[in-house]
Amino acid sequence: MNYWKKVITVTHWEFSRFFKPKNEAIGIVIMLIVSSVFYFGGKFALSDSDKKFEISVIENIDSGLIESMKDEYFIKRIPEQQKTKFIEKIKKEKFGILLASEGESFNLFAYKNSREIEKIKNSLNEYHAQREMQRIGLSPDELSAILSPAQVVESFLYSNESKSRIVLAWLFACLMILAVFVSFAYQFTAITGEKQLKITEQIVSAISPQIWMDGKIFGISLTGISSMLTYSILSILGGMLYFQFTGTPISSIIDYLYLPSILLYLPFALAGILTWNAILAAIASIITDPNNSGKSALMILPVLFVIASFLVTRDPDSGLTLFLSWFPLTSASSMPMRWAITEVSYWQVGGSFLILVLTFYFLRKLAAKIFRVSILITGKEPSFSEVYKLSKQH
Amino acid sequence: MIDNIPKNVLEVNSISKDFLNVKAVNNISFNVEQGDIFAFLGPNGAGKTTTLRILLDIIKADSGKIQWNLNGKSNQLPEASHIGYLPEERGLYLDIPILKSLIYLASIRGMDKKDAKKSALEWLEKIDLADRANEKLQVLSKGNQQKIQFVASILHQPTFLILDEPFSGLDPLNQEIFIDFIKEINNQGTTILLSAHQMPLVEKIAKKVFLINNGMELYNGSLSSIYQTFGKKHIIELQFESDVNEFTLRNLSGIESVNIIDDFRVKLTFEQLTDMKSVLNQLVKVEGISDITSYKPDLHEIFLQLIKNA
Repeated sequence: MNYWKKVITVTHWEFSRFFKPKNEAIGIVIMLIVSSVFYFGGKFALSDSDKKFEISVIENIDSGLIESMKDEYFIKRIPEQQKTKFIEKIKKEKFGILLASEGESFNLFAYKNSREIEKIKNSLNEYHAQREMQRIGLSPDELSAILSPAQVVESFLYSNESKSRIVLAWLFACLMILAVFVSFAYQFTAITGEKQLKITEQIVSAISPQIWMDGKIFGISLTGISSMLTYSILSILGGMLYFQFTGTPISSIIDYLYLPSILLYLPFALAGILTWNAILAAIASIITDPNNSGKSALMILPVLFVIASFLVTRDPDSGLTLFLSWFPLTSASSMPMRWAITEVSYWQVGGSFLILVLTFYFLRKLAAKIFRVSILITGKEPSFSEVYKLSKQH
Repeated sequence: MIDNIPKNVLEVNSISKDFLNVKAVNNISFNVEQGDIFAFLGPNGAGKTTTLRILLDIIKADSGKIQWNLNGKSNQLPEASHIGYLPEERGLYLDIPILKSLIYLASIRGMDKKDAKKSALEWLEKIDLADRANEKLQVLSKGNQQKIQFVASILHQPTFLILDEPFSGLDPLNQEIFIDFIKEINNQGTTILLSAHQMPLVEKIAKKVFLINNGMELYNGSLSSIYQTFGKKHIIELQFESDVNEFTLRNLSGIESVNIIDDFRVKLTFEQLTDMKSVLNQLVKVEGISDITSYKPDLHEIFLQLIKNA
């Protein structure tokens, strides 16, 4: 039985162990329900923000102000003498708003700050601006001219041919992060779980640790990629719905599915997912009991991916982003992102990809070596130095 | 004619393995012939499992040579399809249906999935678990899980089967069932190397034994020759009506050791070639004996004797 046949057998096993279409579908349904609850719940919660509400005003307040506010609020006039009593009432009942004026300034009394107070403050600002304009004899057009920004004509030597490249780059980065995090949980369970169930000895007596590790990396990466594909299809369907509701023809989605970009992003995404899986497999190989291991904290390393993606969009030509687009732990998302938003030569794209692939090749070998020596240490979790010493012996 | 000459399917020459400052295996050599049931015997921590792991290349020996001659191929490392292995540390996928796990474990040893399924169902039938083939392993009792583990090691019909402590954790009834399985597989042509510390069980099936203690060889040879070499001593067990008179017994002629079993029973071991007629004449004069049992030393006793002499 040759190497590839065995790797495919293990890959298929790991994939079928963890990729459960039924669970995936349930996850999507739950996600849709939660999203809907947040969307409609939020809408409902904010629906009363435009409602007219009551403000009590002291009788002696400027009549012009009351006139300007009466369309937006229910105005209730209160005699000056009742001011103190009314404030006491607000405190007692924890309800009500009182507006008074003192010279040029206004006084607002309420039990606590709220959206209503912010709305009243905006109305008072508008009224104040109009009153000041009248005082200095300024027309609304003149005020608008003063406040308008300077006119600047922008001319860039490098023009971004298509904003769809950025949208697609973000989509791929997000999907890749999703795939890495999904694989992440499974890789952890697969390796530490097998160690805890004491299956490893049985397995490595039949296949080499390298075959076992490669099968795990490929099989679990495939699980992550399957989730990535599921969510890609959902994103496209969501995009189509968006275009439908915004009145743009559905065919506009084709503009975003720009083939040259896909041909560039896809290999980077796949190599990135495999590389991260190899790293996670190596870390999981040293961990015996995930609940009591300090090394479990290393599993948050993929967050590097997310940070790198954000840094690139802030300044795609800085020294740091140049480094991130070549560094194999971040290049899978950073290089396509740079390619989308700035000018990157093809040799840079090719070079970065080659380093990424080579990194994967050596990391999977390292993961298998760590696994091989870590199973020799029984009864306790191996330390990094023990693994290093043993790996030199074997 | 040539086919009848036993050939070594495994040749182990002077292998050693150290773990930090502990000599786990110390310069041991042995050969396993085709069709043997070769028992690797020793107490816990003697080096049995380490040796088996070295044979399977799970760990590397510091020195020495291993030669496998299976199915017409000579290698330092056997093909996975030719070897079956029941590790001492038992474990299978608990949350996966039994049949699915068995097929997977046979397929990574090179067996076709269809054949693996057929063979798995046959074996499940044999161990009375056919109706539970699609259940998860975790719902089975520990004894039944052990049986599944055993089936996983032999499903692909290996030429050479390594069983590390196959009887541990089994009740007496299941131990007998396992002994029958081992005999049956051996009769079908599979060579078996087993490690164990339950000597009375091993005596029932082994053709050759290798006794190991502290990583070193104590004895290597056939079961019959170990009895011929070390089993000539006489052992007498005495039952007393009152307390044992140890002093008198220690002065019997030819006495090698006196082991007090309890307040009323004692086991006497006599040196080889001791005149037992004279011993019996002396025992007649010892007061209070209510029962006398005489027997030859078993493997367990020979092993203890060898450790003592080592």
